[in-house]
Amino acid sequence: MNTPSKGFVVVASKNSNFYTYAVNLIESIKDWYPESQICLVTEERFIDERADEADQVIFCDDHYRAKLWGMSQSPYDITMYVDADMDCEHEDIAKVWDELGDKDLVFHELTPEREKYYAIREFRYDNAIEKFTLCGGVCLYRSSNPLVREFMEEWFELFNKQQSGMWKPKEFDSHQFEKDLKHFDQTTLWYMTEKMDKYKDLKIGIFHDDIRWNYFTQYAYEGLKSIEGKPPILRHYSGSLQKDKLIV
Amino acid sequence: MARKWLDNAFWETPKKQILNAISEEEIDNRQIRQVHKLNKLNDDGTENELFNEVIAFLGEEKIDESSKKRLEKKQAEAELEKSKKLEHERAKKLEKLFEYKLETFEITEIKESKNRLLKSKLRRSKSIPEVNLYAMMIVKDALEDEHTK
Repeated sequence: MNTPSKGFVVVASKNSNFYTYAVNLIESIKDWYPESQICLVTEERFIDERADEADQVIFCDDHYRAKLWGMSQSPYDITMYVDADMDCEHEDIAKVWDELGDKDLVFHELTPEREKYYAIREFRYDNAIEKFTLCGGVCLYRSSNPLVREFMEEWFELFNKQQSGMWKPKEFDSHQFEKDLKHFDQTTLWYMTEKMDKYKDLKIGIFHDDIRWNYFTQYAYEGLKSIEGKPPILRHYSGSLQKDKLIV
Repeated sequence: MARKWLDNAFWETPKKQILNAISEEEIDNRQIRQVHKLNKLNDDGTENELFNEVIAFLGEEKIDESSKKRLEKKQAEAELEKSKKLEHERAKKLEKLFEYKLETFEITEIKESKNRLLKSKLRRSKSIPEVNLYAMMIVKDALEDEHTK
């Protein structure tokens, strides 16, 4: 049996700053893990010589959630998706593949102590309060599993329908859906993992000491730390970067 | 019911001239709890009876003990607050540093540099002066390369 291929997917679309972030992320992963395989999914108009750092480049359109499409395009059997606005800081990045175990998808967790840093965590569904628990900032997945591949494709398709108003399960609160949930890919992720029978057999897990794999800079405001007292592996700057402003 | 004094009374000054204490008593079937800030002496220099009542009820040793505990708790809280503030400042500084690095990486000579070692050093820099130092080295390296071509 062939060894499964393993690689990272980084997506940069819509805003050229994301291309700059993505290039930095790719180089930072290579700094700590030179033999890593990295696929950059980006728009053709952004490409310059820095794209050479990626082992593979796939072109996408200017969709602002091209990340979901990019995840479904992974050229690897096992994929680690990482949001572009992150920075790799630790050699343990090379151990990421061990985190998959027998799981199909592995995420960072939205816990109560972290919830103040998320746009929304609780919402109403079928007259009950539900919570988002999975954060899509990083995702390790078995892309060789056809059901996982289908999951990624459907995540993108369903999100598009959700965003354009073509899809909204009646159990969601209409007002809240329109205001807080419609534009959020977490909503689609929650529905697919919690409510769709088709995906109920997917084994979904959380990274061990998951804070290290998606350390939002705001976590440090409160001194949130790894359970093992280890430093972050991937630091996430999503809350602090001014994405729409020119870098230079 | 006779007046009771809670055992968390504490000295407000090291010289034990002001005492902070909470009393509990039942008046007209209602439980009344009151916080007192008691001076040892009244304005006319006479002894404060209430002050003496608390000492008689709890004993000076007990008040010393709770004062010490309270001070330790306050110091620990202040320490925690200080370290949280420091963590916050450090995190903010790190965010600024990251933006500064991204800006530095946009300098043409650095953007186009293939010197992985120096670029990696720049990326791992812990301060703006360190970023500047490696940025200068990368630019120098690029200029030397250009010169030798």
